[in-house]
Amino acid sequence: MKYLFKLSISIVVFFGFNLSVLAQIPVSNSKHIIEIRNMKFIPSELIIKKGDTVVWINRDFFVHNITEFDDKRWKSSNLAKGESWSKVINENLNYYCSLHVTMKGKLTIE
Amino acid sequence: MKTITSSIKKATSFVLLTLLTSISFSQENPSLSDAEVASVAVVANQIDISYADIAMKRSKNKDILEFAERMITDHNAVIEQAVALVTKLNVSPKDNAVSQSLMDGSEKTKKMLKKANKKEFDKLYIDNEVAYHKAVISAIKKLLIPETDNAELKKLLETVLPALEAHLGHAEMVQNKI
Repeated sequence: MKYLFKLSISIVVFFGFNLSVLAQIPVSNSKHIIEIRNMKFIPSELIIKKGDTVVWINRDFFVHNITEFDDKRWKSSNLAKGESWSKVINENLNYYCSLHVTMKGKLTIE
Repeated sequence: MKTITSSIKKATSFVLLTLLTSISFSQENPSLSDAEVASVAVVANQIDISYADIAMKRSKNKDILEFAERMITDHNAVIEQAVALVTKLNVSPKDNAVSQSLMDGSEKTKKMLKKANKKEFDKLYIDNEVAYHKAVISAIKKLLIPETDNAELKKLLETVLPALEAHLGHAEMVQNKI
């Protein structure tokens, strides 16, 4: 009986502590996920806020990259299946996969 | 110039005829086992890699070389997936009339590409890529997917389709530049 009492106290303390920790973590809405699947960026167009982070995750077994389209100013590394790449976005931009040139996407600052 | 244009037209017609013969032949013989579907899928990828290998040796055009390199990488990736799947399913790809017909057609195309004049090679190669991808996309949709029983093999074929469509779009972009 004494054991059960101690156990229940421990459970309450443990979960209470963790919930309080979780409550202190600010909910972030500045990260956006774009999946690369079936030779498409999903979603292909996204409206974000200046300074938001965009994460691209490759779900295809084909290698892909993310390349700035208009002036080719930057390019990600080549991403194998399951790999991801992220970038803080501060401006409107068009991008594409330079390996599969028909794959295109667009980010617009709100 | 007229001679080159005329020979390109003749060679393009030859490529199209070869492809159409292969595909129409396959449509008249629609009964394929999963092992035979796997064989056709692997052979179709190997054929495009063999065309790209010729392009890597013969072309100096940046767009053609980039496209050919992409074909080698992507079609090898498809073959790896197909081999992993048939190994998992304990199935051996089985040679059949459709894969044999594709191989025969490709031998003629490879001869034509190897013999082609340097000036006409790029156009012949990319025209063939456009025609070949159209034919393979059609064959996967109308023959291979309907003939496949195994769900995982069917899913792999369905996964490959968007890649082939992207390759076709890429080939058409290069074709417009040549």
